[in-house]
Amino acid sequence: MKTSYFLPLFMLFSLGIAQAADKPILTVYTYDSFVSEWGSGPKLEAAFEQTCHCDLKFIAVEDGVSILNRLKIEGDQAKADLILGIDDGLMEEARATQLIAEHGQALDKLSTSLKWVDKDFLPYDYGYFAFIYDSSKITKPVSSLKELLESDAKVIYQDPRTSTPGQGLMLWMKAVYGDQAASAWQQLAKHTVTVTKGWWEAYSMFLEGGADYVLSYNTSPAYHVLSDKKEQYKAAAFSEGHVAQVELAAVLKSSQQPELAKQFLSFLISPEAQSIIPVTNWMLPVIDGIELPPIFSQLIQPQRIGFTPAEVAEKRAEWVREWRSAAAK
Amino acid sequence: MAQRSSQISGYLALVALVSVTAWAFYGLSSLAEGRLAGSVFTDPYIHRILGFSLKQAALSASAAVLLAVPVARALYYLPNLLGKRAFLALCLLCFVLPTLILITGLVALLGSAGSLSPYLGKSWNLYGLQGILLAHLFLNLPFAIRSFYLQLQALPASSWILARQLKLSSWQQWAVLEWPQLRARLLTVWVFIFVLCFNSFAVVLSLGGGPQSTTLEVAIYQALKYDFNIPEALSLAWLQLLITGSFYLAMTRFGSSAWLSADTARPEFLPRLRSWQMLYQQLIYYLTWTFFLLPLLALIPSWWQINFEGLTKINLIKPLITTLSLGLIAASLAVLIAVLVLSPIRWARRQQQQQKQWLLEGLANHSLVLPAMVLSVGLYVWSLRHLDLEVWGIFFVILVNTLILVPFAVQQLKPRLFQFDDQYQYLAQQLKLNAWAYWQVVLPWLQRDLQAAFVLCLLLAMGDVAVFSIFATDTWISLPWLIYSYAGSYRIAEASVLACLFLLICAALVVWLEKIKNK
Repeated sequence: MKTSYFLPLFMLFSLGIAQAADKPILTVYTYDSFVSEWGSGPKLEAAFEQTCHCDLKFIAVEDGVSILNRLKIEGDQAKADLILGIDDGLMEEARATQLIAEHGQALDKLSTSLKWVDKDFLPYDYGYFAFIYDSSKITKPVSSLKELLESDAKVIYQDPRTSTPGQGLMLWMKAVYGDQAASAWQQLAKHTVTVTKGWWEAYSMFLEGGADYVLSYNTSPAYHVLSDKKEQYKAAAFSEGHVAQVELAAVLKSSQQPELAKQFLSFLISPEAQSIIPVTNWMLPVIDGIELPPIFSQLIQPQRIGFTPAEVAEKRAEWVREWRSAAAK
Repeated sequence: MAQRSSQISGYLALVALVSVTAWAFYGLSSLAEGRLAGSVFTDPYIHRILGFSLKQAALSASAAVLLAVPVARALYYLPNLLGKRAFLALCLLCFVLPTLILITGLVALLGSAGSLSPYLGKSWNLYGLQGILLAHLFLNLPFAIRSFYLQLQALPASSWILARQLKLSSWQQWAVLEWPQLRARLLTVWVFIFVLCFNSFAVVLSLGGGPQSTTLEVAIYQALKYDFNIPEALSLAWLQLLITGSFYLAMTRFGSSAWLSADTARPEFLPRLRSWQMLYQQLIYYLTWTFFLLPLLALIPSWWQINFEGLTKINLIKPLITTLSLGLIAASLAVLIAVLVLSPIRWARRQQQQQKQWLLEGLANHSLVLPAMVLSVGLYVWSLRHLDLEVWGIFFVILVNTLILVPFAVQQLKPRLFQFDDQYQYLAQQLKLNAWAYWQVVLPWLQRDLQAAFVLCLLLAMGDVAVFSIFATDTWISLPWLIYSYAGSYRIAEASVLACLFLLICAALVVWLEKIKNK
């Protein structure tokens, strides 16, 4: 075929991706909302590049699960030095790829409440999954998962296969309902508006008035207060407890610049980065002593329930199959 | 000589087509080590998906066929309808409309914050079967209308004169004249729409709303992109191939369906209608206009809501150039390849080797039954390990789109080239034209059809989402993909503006296509 046709096209566009010369490039796979113009990515990049004499480059995929999938396909051919955005639910599956190197960071900097001891994956923020509602429309929010399922409130949530909040809801359902989860999913399906691929699609549809409750994080109201100056969005506290999500970063064994990669990890849990993340990625910091805007102290502080990463790794595929069969009915 | 060289290049083109497919399947099998997930065939979830795929396709096809008949009759009976030419052009536009324009329009009209939604009651939800059916109806009803209308126009005036002399009632006219004329076409059109809807991707992905309305095509995408379950994807792909393949075989047996032909001169004799019948048919006609226009017009009001400051941030030029270049290259390649592969097919036909002709046509058209998803994913999986997709991704988008378009181009060019063979091939042989001189005769003869095939392929390639969704990276963004990402994050105003722009480009191409056809 006439490959000569493609050449001018390539040249036209490769102008746009020409690299800055000489500096080492540190490549990070992450999810798309992290690198959006209002996300943490650009600010962390600017801060880190001031000290590292390198070019920090994010490659964004749709969400956390996709990062893992891409890693599995690429194997040791991955272009990235680091991954950022896997969560504790996916941790063991990521480790099983044998592509992850040790992070080499001292863990005593982290908040003791996290009780983090893993040598491969380093937490950079955490939060609790929660359903968000508009308190100007709903005056009596549901107070438990059970109440939500039994109501006829319109709900939007994310696909457990692609999205970490979706997976979080799956763990939540299993933690609360155990063997009865299938019928609980069916109950939820009756008043589900749609199941989206990623968090952002679901959340924007909710903001447009598409549902009464949307699955998100207990920290989401902070975003509305600080960025939007809107106070009506609240997280519903559930009496059964909430599942937490710890977001993780890790260095790949195949990285050509392991030292630089570790330097980035160390930066990630520095007070500088930890003050940027809560107000851009809207999650809680993993080190103590970060001064946060007052709204953060008004967020719901749920009791944590759930499973260990090893339990999740063992059961995830089975639970996903249970969900898709139940929700398809 | 001319014969030899064009035959050889034809076979080479066929080999190239088939090897791309083989390459894709190699990519898939190498990761799965050829394993198939046998569990797929016993998994109740897959049964349900299969059931839903068949159900939505059957419902969409039936609705389109049933509703098209009265509209086609109205067009036929009332030759002086206001804006009839525009209506037929609109039908063409709707059929080739990039699905994302329609989806954006439907969401703006009937989504949770849509302009019509408040009148539909609290329980209305666009997402699910109802949304899928609406979108499929919008995309396929126009095709059925045009197809049936052309069929009715073929009714000879003498039949109508006879009918009047026999004083047939309008019911008898339908039973004796119109129904037999439409009957065969009805089935072909139904099967064609069924296959299109069975393979539907973007509509189901955007409007499906979760696992309860997933089709096989979307399930393949999900198995690959969500679960990373290659054996399951491979098994689903074979299943999809089996089903669309058998429907395709059924369709080729029933013959093809003309629908792009020009609106030929008006029939010289038509039965007279009673005034209530005229009124009723006008009503149908204007209702159909409304149905086709509403989702497109719904794109406009968002213009006022738009934040123009935000709009200037959208980098429009690059996606626009990407989409146009992608379309132009894929369409040119597809038309070129179609001309080439038709050489051996024509040769076989001239030699009256029917089985060989049938086999070669099958090979040229094989991508019609292949899920675009399977091709793309196979190549994707292969290239992730061997190439930098940020650079090469777009090459594969073009490659797969070309492969998918070849059957459409072949369909467009085949009748005209067969006609050439019947009329001039013998002469061309006697004159012992060399390859250069031979094509200098053939190409001008083909010019109109080449143009039409090119514009059709261009429209289809520009609207592609399925292939692009697999290879999309930050480096390359096409216009439909940009619309998808805006619509996906519910920024309907931005999505609408882009969709409007895209719509204008497509409308201009359709007007051009109509011009070519009516020349």
